[in-house]
Amino acid sequence: MKLFEYQAKETFRKNGIPTPESVLITSENELGAASEITGYPLVLKSQLLMGGRGKAGLIRFVQDRAQAERECGELFASHFHVTKILVEQAVDIKNEIYLSITVDPVKAKYMIIACAEGGVEIETLAAETPEKIIREYVDPDNGLHPYQVRNVAFQLGLTGDVLKKFSLVLSNLYKAFLANDAELIEINPLFITGKDDVIAGDGKLSIDDNSGFRQKTYEITRDYFDTDAEYESALEGIPYLQFDGDISLMCAGAGLTTTVYDLINYEGGTVANYLEFGGPNYKKAVRAMELCLKNDSKVILVVTFGTIARADVMAEGIVDAIKRLKPDRPIVTCIRGTNEEEANRILKDAGLVPLYDTEEAVRKAVSIAAGGEA
Amino acid sequence: MSIFINETTKVLVQGITGKEGRYWTEHMIGCGTNVVAGVTPGKEGQTVEGLDVYHSVRRAVAQEKVDASMLFVPPRFTKDAVFEALDGGIKKIVTIADGIPLHDAVQIRKAALLEGAQVIGGNTSGVISPGKAMMGFFPYWIERVYKPGRIGVMTRSGSLTNEVTAMVVKAGFGVSSLIGIGGDPVPGTRFAEMLPQYEQDSETDAVVIIGELGGSMEEECARMIRDGLFTKPLVAFLGGRTAPEGKRMGHAGAIVSGGKGSVKDKIKAIESVGGKVAQRPRFVGDHLKELLGK
Repeated sequence: MKLFEYQAKETFRKNGIPTPESVLITSENELGAASEITGYPLVLKSQLLMGGRGKAGLIRFVQDRAQAERECGELFASHFHVTKILVEQAVDIKNEIYLSITVDPVKAKYMIIACAEGGVEIETLAAETPEKIIREYVDPDNGLHPYQVRNVAFQLGLTGDVLKKFSLVLSNLYKAFLANDAELIEINPLFITGKDDVIAGDGKLSIDDNSGFRQKTYEITRDYFDTDAEYESALEGIPYLQFDGDISLMCAGAGLTTTVYDLINYEGGTVANYLEFGGPNYKKAVRAMELCLKNDSKVILVVTFGTIARADVMAEGIVDAIKRLKPDRPIVTCIRGTNEEEANRILKDAGLVPLYDTEEAVRKAVSIAAGGEA
Repeated sequence: MSIFINETTKVLVQGITGKEGRYWTEHMIGCGTNVVAGVTPGKEGQTVEGLDVYHSVRRAVAQEKVDASMLFVPPRFTKDAVFEALDGGIKKIVTIADGIPLHDAVQIRKAALLEGAQVIGGNTSGVISPGKAMMGFFPYWIERVYKPGRIGVMTRSGSLTNEVTAMVVKAGFGVSSLIGIGGDPVPGTRFAEMLPQYEQDSETDAVVIIGELGGSMEEECARMIRDGLFTKPLVAFLGGRTAPEGKRMGHAGAIVSGGKGSVKDKIKAIESVGGKVAQRPRFVGDHLKELLGK
């Protein structure tokens, strides 16, 4: 789960990583009280998960009260559905550093990534100036040694007081990475101020979903998602992505669903949504179809080739969903795996025309979407 | 011969008294697997499918010769179970758990590397040498997928494996050994690390890898071929060619970011060393025929 900047910064502070003074507000009315704490100039930072907030105009640097009120109003009214703004003290910045920790799946170690030129996305740095990226690998059994912290600091060209403060930030970032079962923890930029303080200017924290049982749980709210459907499916635990094409995918298995998505594109069709109801969700056909029907798609395409999920159970689920939801658009099925003969009988009895071959099913769906016969 | 397991491999089942453990132990035996004993803490003295159950791996290996361990253990206890198997001196471990915490997976792989052991999984159906033995939960009774033959298969996926392997069989081939590497971001064993065993296996003529966007496992295979460590024909099918960048489509291990891990890069890497990449599942068989001169 990706957290908002304000949540990442709360974690930073809890772990001894300094952040600028800030107050989270949910309406313009709270701006006055917030600015009392931060003073002017200040920065209004829209709390959205998308990257490139600066470029999109979602972060505003303001000098005074009048400007703050105007810009704050604009942000809350923008089409990005801003519901929270972090009001943050403007910092006197001398220098910006990139710093993050993630996992190296080949070495089976944790990887610290740093760069003396912060403020730019790491992907851009990696593509344009890979030689400037500093990497330090941490053995999960041995932990982060002080010499490794010094290695990073010296390569960044830090000295004196700044080196000491940076070292503390990195050590604490590593502690926070472990304590939160993070996939990624990132400070970009990490400010070096005019007074040689080292402060987290931004924060990213992505918590491994598989560690939910031993982590603080964050309530899933609408503002983590781009669309209502993605939010609803997340509550249901069904992987779902929203697109704007004609064909709703209701498939089982991540790899197979992705392949069906590719095949539709090859055949000149377009995808309305990616939905995967395999594995533990294979009995959730009704809920899955309900989500598909919320789209303006022209056809629903069901493709499965189950390993544990039995084909007959899947077919029963689809038939049940059709009975209950009475879909207003054709449904193309290609359900295979254990008990597939029984599955086909169930589908035929319900008046469907079961297909066996994935590509045939894809072509059928593309043809229906283009106005062909169901 | 087969790789990883065959009908002589002595398999221990950790978590054998659970619902899944019981059910799939019966099927592993049905598929020909030489299951020798089981482990469930607190259940020593019981039997499952006529096999003795022990409190711990240590107690089991004191009584039985064991070559490999199959884990039917929930994700949150998987790290503990893997370490217990390693402590028992077991060098081949398969975990099917879907949902192993990322940091646990890092420690599992690290420990396996240190011990010189192979941990397969998690988030996989396991390992199968059709007609001989399996560790995991494959629907081996579906003949148009799990037909014995001479093509090695490695995969990051479940349902897609059935889809692609059915096409391999349809083209007139069969499977020697299928290894489910799994769909997690940090699998215990990587594609490239299995290639030397396929290279050695006299019963494997070519290898099919079923990959997808994200990570670097397909590129690592290309490097093995370039370095001459794998010389048999290799055909890849890669899901997610048209996936939009930055969206988490497919398995957790399958996110593309910053232009790395894209299917385009993977195709380039594999083709540059003479491997073939099938655009559609049904083309896998065509490429195999071409490379094997059939």
